[in-house]
Amino acid sequence: MSHSKAATIFNKDEKKVNWHDKALWFVRHKRDKSAHSVEGWEELRNLGQGIKAHMLSNLDNYLIQFEENALKNGVQVHWAQDGDEHNRIVHSILQEHNAKKVVKSKSMLTEECHLNPFLEADGIEVIDTDLGERIVQLAKEPPSHIVLPAIHKTKEDVDELFQEHLGTKPCDGDPQYLTGEARKHLREKFVSADAAITGVNFAIADTGGFVVCTNEGNADMGAHLAPVHIACMGVEKIIPKQEHLGVFLRLLGRSATGQHITTYSSHFKKPRNGAKMHIVIVDNGRTKQLSRPDFRASLQCIRCGACMNTCPIYRRSGGHSYDATIPGPIGSILSPGKDLKKHSSLPFASTLCGSCSDVCPVKIDIHAQLYKWRQIITKETEQPFVKKASMKMMGDMFAKPTKFEKVGKMARWSLRNLPKGVINSKPNVWGKERDLPTGPKESFDDWYKKRKKDE
Amino acid sequence: MSSRDAILSKIKDNKPDLLELPTINVDVFSDSRNVEDEFILKVEVAGGQVLKAASNDAVLDQINTMFPDSKVKYSTLENTADFNTVDFDAIKSPKELEDLDVLILESEIGVAENGAVWLKDATLPMRVLPFITKHLVIVLNKENLVPFMHQAYGKLIGEDHDFGVFLAGPSKTADIEQSLVIGAHGALSLTLFLK
Repeated sequence: MSHSKAATIFNKDEKKVNWHDKALWFVRHKRDKSAHSVEGWEELRNLGQGIKAHMLSNLDNYLIQFEENALKNGVQVHWAQDGDEHNRIVHSILQEHNAKKVVKSKSMLTEECHLNPFLEADGIEVIDTDLGERIVQLAKEPPSHIVLPAIHKTKEDVDELFQEHLGTKPCDGDPQYLTGEARKHLREKFVSADAAITGVNFAIADTGGFVVCTNEGNADMGAHLAPVHIACMGVEKIIPKQEHLGVFLRLLGRSATGQHITTYSSHFKKPRNGAKMHIVIVDNGRTKQLSRPDFRASLQCIRCGACMNTCPIYRRSGGHSYDATIPGPIGSILSPGKDLKKHSSLPFASTLCGSCSDVCPVKIDIHAQLYKWRQIITKETEQPFVKKASMKMMGDMFAKPTKFEKVGKMARWSLRNLPKGVINSKPNVWGKERDLPTGPKESFDDWYKKRKKDE
Repeated sequence: MSSRDAILSKIKDNKPDLLELPTINVDVFSDSRNVEDEFILKVEVAGGQVLKAASNDAVLDQINTMFPDSKVKYSTLENTADFNTVDFDAIKSPKELEDLDVLILESEIGVAENGAVWLKDATLPMRVLPFITKHLVIVLNKENLVPFMHQAYGKLIGEDHDFGVFLAGPSKTADIEQSLVIGAHGALSLTLFLK
């Protein structure tokens, strides 16, 4: 299904869409407030961009250095070329430790690889422990946002889900009560887990360590209690030195939720006594994206979600309408690189307003890349007849000033004189759900010429 | 070819020409804020509270008043053996710490810009402690406050930690309709004592 069709379904519940829109705009506003309180914020973004761009230009060497140090730290390192190999590696580690119960903290990579169904097929219980992720797991849905996985759910939805699955009492969606019940339910899972899986926010080449950021403490509860910790990371998570965390941890929380730092920024290096630690380094299309000069900067992403919170399309269409692991503007430039045909409508799910690029903490030129993907998609995938024909007509009109003036005159007259029923009729998609402005008497060109004459 | 070599060779073929690694000039970030005031403010923003104490005894007195009903307690402060009820030699698995009510730790780095404090596993009998405890108390010397994360990492250069965490406030979540709830999986409260 194309993004616009899926978005139409999301928009059927107007009240919910309005809430979704406002809630995310509020998060964007918190981001502004906290970013503006930092002296030198733009320099911080420049550093974030520069360090990541440098990392990509030397990625093979940094990965080798990271592996060498991680091995010295007593950590086992595995490499996976694609999602399937990643899943098989994780499965074999679990088998080796006879692990049947797994707790997992947020990891978009394991979502991307569809790890949960793979493990569940072999009878392994996988519990997502981030509250938002647990909510969508119980609802059998994918996350709709990378930082706020259950942002599309109302508190009443959660109330019902918890009654059904956790046996909670009806509470009119009281977040305090529901969170407390989730804490109890997941505490049991943490204490009885045979293995913990986490993602990686940053992997440090010069120490072989890695950092995982959470607000809930679920990654730590999992990793410090279970006898085995498996951390899964994409190749692009590397940063050269530990001191670079100073830059990224200042950027990440503020860009994501407006927090000055996440509650827990946990620095893992060696397994604790008696426990085992594994790292799985995954490609799954990333090296291919690295080969595309126009799109490789998308690999600088630190997964803060700021581009989603600010995007006028995302806020009004919801994460699920993108039908991709990573939704929103950043997802729309990452996904076509994986499957151009499946994700061909995503780069068009944008007004190209550029707000995503403005808030990106590592200065990815997201809106420029959306535009560039459109050029490729239009050439390589079949476009609907109406779109092709109208683009051709428009191109012709814009190329000829006299034709443009004639059409403009007609349009201005029509907007002034035609009845509303005609202006807002079905074929005019611009008149859907909105009133068009009254057509002005003169064109800009007329106005400008008159003004010149009066000078 | 192994997957490792295949990935590395693809990167080698596909990566752009080497770009320079930027250097961090900390001066561009300096502002006129008072480090102690800013730290207190940011801990409160993160959901914690900051109290003053002149000595470890004063810390214990206040904690005993704050949590009078607590049964399972542990402190890593010097000369606080009377406070402790946990015998780590007898504990076989970190899971046995589930009932820990109050934990008191010391930190050697506090960051003013975000209220985070550094905890390292060399000072923790078990890594899970600061996460599994119901109430977390951290004692920090004023002289150990730094303005930004950059200086905090500056202090960590040359130190070797098997595990460490920058911790800001109690655990929290806003995953249900963006309503902030303090106490997700980790500590339900955080109290910081500035010495």
